[in-house]
Amino acid sequence: MDSLNVSPYGVQAIQVLTVLLGAPLVSGVIAQVEGRLQGRRGPRILQPYYDIAKYFSKETLVSNDSSWVFLVGPIVAFSCYLTVPLLIPVLTTFPLPLGFSGDILGGGFILALAGFSVALSGAESGAPYAQLGSSRAMTFGALIEPTILFVIFAVALITHTDLPYALSATIRSSTSQMVRPSHVFAAAAFFLVVLVDTGRIPVETHSGTLEFGMIDEARTLEHSGPALGLLKWGSTMKQLILYTILINVFLAPWGLASTGKWSSVLLAVTALLGKAMLLGMVFAFIDNLFSKLRLFKITEFIASAFLLAVLSVLVFYVGGG
Amino acid sequence: MAPSTYDGVAAVLALLVLLTEFAMLRAPLLRSQVRLYAFQSFVVTGLATYVAASKHIDELYALASLSLVLKVVIVPSLIVRLLRDADTDLAGSSVLGVASSILIALVVAAFGFFAVGSLHVSSSSLPTSSLAISCAIVLVAFVLIILRSDVVSQAIGFFSLENGVSVASLVVATRLPLIVDIAFLFDLLVAVVVFGVIMRVHHARNATLSTSDFDRLRG
Amino acid sequence: MSSLVLVLVCLPFATALVTWMTPVRFSQYLTIAVAMVTFALTLVLLPRVSHSVVTTGSVFRVDALSQVFLLAVSFLYATTALFVKGYLALGDGASARRYGRRFYAGLNLFCWTLITVPLVNGLALLWVALEITTVISALLVALDDTEGAAEAAWKYVLLASLGLGIALFATIMMYYAGTGVHGASYSLSYSTLLSGAARYDPGVIHFSFVLAVLGYGTKMGLFPVHTWLPDAHSEAPTPVSALLSGALLAVSFYAILRFFQIAVLSVGPTFPRDVLLVFGVATLLLAALYLLSQRDMKRLLAYSSVEHMGILAVGMSFGAPIAVVGVLLQVLAHAAAKGTAFFGVGSVVRKFGTKDMAKIRGGVGALPWSGPMLVLAVLALSAMPPFGIFRSEFDIVYGGLLEPRDVIVAIFVVLVILAFFGLSWFTTETMLSPDPSGTQISGGAVLVAKGEVSNWIVSAMVIGLVALLILGVHPPTPLVHLLDHAAFELRGKP
Repeated sequence: MDSLNVSPYGVQAIQVLTVLLGAPLVSGVIAQVEGRLQGRRGPRILQPYYDIAKYFSKETLVSNDSSWVFLVGPIVAFSCYLTVPLLIPVLTTFPLPLGFSGDILGGGFILALAGFSVALSGAESGAPYAQLGSSRAMTFGALIEPTILFVIFAVALITHTDLPYALSATIRSSTSQMVRPSHVFAAAAFFLVVLVDTGRIPVETHSGTLEFGMIDEARTLEHSGPALGLLKWGSTMKQLILYTILINVFLAPWGLASTGKWSSVLLAVTALLGKAMLLGMVFAFIDNLFSKLRLFKITEFIASAFLLAVLSVLVFYVGGG
Repeated sequence: MAPSTYDGVAAVLALLVLLTEFAMLRAPLLRSQVRLYAFQSFVVTGLATYVAASKHIDELYALASLSLVLKVVIVPSLIVRLLRDADTDLAGSSVLGVASSILIALVVAAFGFFAVGSLHVSSSSLPTSSLAISCAIVLVAFVLIILRSDVVSQAIGFFSLENGVSVASLVVATRLPLIVDIAFLFDLLVAVVVFGVIMRVHHARNATLSTSDFDRLRG
Repeated sequence: MSSLVLVLVCLPFATALVTWMTPVRFSQYLTIAVAMVTFALTLVLLPRVSHSVVTTGSVFRVDALSQVFLLAVSFLYATTALFVKGYLALGDGASARRYGRRFYAGLNLFCWTLITVPLVNGLALLWVALEITTVISALLVALDDTEGAAEAAWKYVLLASLGLGIALFATIMMYYAGTGVHGASYSLSYSTLLSGAARYDPGVIHFSFVLAVLGYGTKMGLFPVHTWLPDAHSEAPTPVSALLSGALLAVSFYAILRFFQIAVLSVGPTFPRDVLLVFGVATLLLAALYLLSQRDMKRLLAYSSVEHMGILAVGMSFGAPIAVVGVLLQVLAHAAAKGTAFFGVGSVVRKFGTKDMAKIRGGVGALPWSGPMLVLAVLALSAMPPFGIFRSEFDIVYGGLLEPRDVIVAIFVVLVILAFFGLSWFTTETMLSPDPSGTQISGGAVLVAKGEVSNWIVSAMVIGLVALLILGVHPPTPLVHLLDHAAFELRGKP
């Protein structure tokens, strides 16, 4: 019945809200699973919410050497993270109205803008470790860009369009699409990209503050108070966004709402968060299997991801695969 | 349009063989290179079994089991025994860093892809991309041999080149008479034995497995 | 006749098994006897294959083209067996133990594989046979327990195996080309391939032929995959070097010729000839340049082998029948000449105790028989009349001028003359220089007593030179018929 339908704009708002509110939950689940795998009890699942609330109640300390950029950075990043869920298939199989305002490249740009503003504000603070983290993050971000581009090329070659919705529809259409080599290797490459971008082993340790190895974590060392809360929230949202792209575009684009009914939308929300938690558990598992790579070996890792992405494009050209 | 499921799975398996080849460029320890070779041979055997099962070619089962025994069990154990006797485990340092080697190998592999792709080979057993992939495997094996400077890495590069040629034969010569395939396999075994003998001679003479001072004979 | 082929195949193999178990003295004479018998058997086979094909089951097949290479191999087998008797008797105790049964078994086994290559029927078996020659010869190269030998053996086995890997790829592509005509499953026998070649896909044949030239060319010593050759041929024991240079390079060329035969039927003569021309000229150029700067005697002869392989490739690229006859005659004459040259070098090395040309002076004086014969052999290699190589290179040049390929012929002649300079430098410096013991200045040369090293070596060299003379002055008529028929087979008629 019509009253049970959510308007498309409503669905889009729910998309943003899901990412906004569900991201810390996913983060909490991952931390708990990591703890359990290491034989501890692990922090409680809702801990990230408490942490963010705590940050918002603290005062902000700003160093004398920094300027307005330092304060604006976290806000810019957060608003970018709020924008990207509008463009990607979070809950639905059909494209939503605002979803046409940007394709997958646009989403990539906005995510890059977010990372850039955080790095800029970190570097701007003048503190050595924050600058260290910012420069490392920018370097590795630049190195991973070709991989992301080739993944996007592979997607575009398969579906003749840039919209992420189209790829997930194509993947759902038949088994042969799931096992075609371009798709498999593009998915594997994107998996590695997510690993690098969310700062997990073997690129960076998520827990602890070992300065020699910190990349993403170090950028936020100088922030405090609500800005830090926004940054922490933003990083969990980034994680969920990347997981969403990986799941709903490449790996398992099922359980999405195909109509606008309330029931299917709610089902889609649950499915998304469930799948994200499963994926997070996989990453936690990888955390425990491998050790962190030394910094100069991260380029090898990135080269492997690049290799997978290039192979997925090449095999498309050669065999139509 | 997308290739069929069979074609897709077969191409993924062939690409996995190619990926293992790239992984050998990175492996720092000789023992891990041997393990990678065993894994690669296993994937090739898996591909042969998949083709045999899907296309109902019974001879390929025999070939697959024979190559499983030979290339996954016997050859790696022979090399591991040599490594144990020689008591070295590190690969000789490669001429270039890992990332540069991967990039060079990628360019070479792309060249192989397009060179073979222009031939318009069509096969009833495996998709055309598999032939291009096998050519890329052969070329990347060459890169591995050129960039590495110890006898075991070079020998493993040669064996993995044979794996690439096996994939090619699965694509275009699926129904090659079984006796010929068996002759090829036993020839490979003999070659492995001789490689082992000469590696031992080298090690006995020079107390090292490295080829970096192989410059005595010049001009 | 077909049982004769079977005997030819089994005899050296059986000899290898026997020599593994019997004492060395007996093995030496046994090897000589068996080698002579083998050569005699190939001569018996000759008139039969000049006009027809002899097959034994589906495994062995002898036609005129195979017979030419069979002759070269068996002749070298016989003379090397004689040479070995003399050469190894002179070593000290340690080398005698090393050169014991293993060496004789290995030598016989190696010659068995060399004989098998022209006899097998089909590209697949051809590949298998050449792979076995590689592994056995690699073991023989490594026999001398020196660092140079270990390095040379590793380079050889790696590069030759890589080349054969590419050749396997070429064989598989050739198989694929045939599946369109013969169905999905067929044997790669020559008669099958030659009958269907006209209908094969030209693109695939182009690819397969280039791969075959690259792959088998590695074993033949073509540029740019010749780099193992000077090392392996100079570090191996001298009898093994003779076999490598004279016989193994020739049978690798035979493999290329088989692919050539099929390719000419399939895509016409232009493409295969052009490919061979490019590789041949590059090889010839490289060898001629390197010949001018050698210090090691055996390395010098190895580069001369590279030069002759280049000549063979260039000769095949001239299409005229007389050029092809010249190429096949050159295979025979080169085997005889290179063998004799290596025997002479072996004699010199035994006398002077070194391979370094700077230390050897007055060879002709020190070795009254093998010295002058070595000079003659080296001059024969540089195509001096009345020896066989002069006749064969003359035929090649004549064929080239008939084409007309004047520019290539000019380049060819210039490069051959360059090679002659290199070889003659060696000859004059070491052999024809005055005897240093008579003068006050020895200049670092080794002083030795006069006298022949071994009569066995002398006899082997005499046989080689006589064969060269026969080939040069008046090749016997059955041989001429054989060469004509082989050239006819290569011209692209099934």
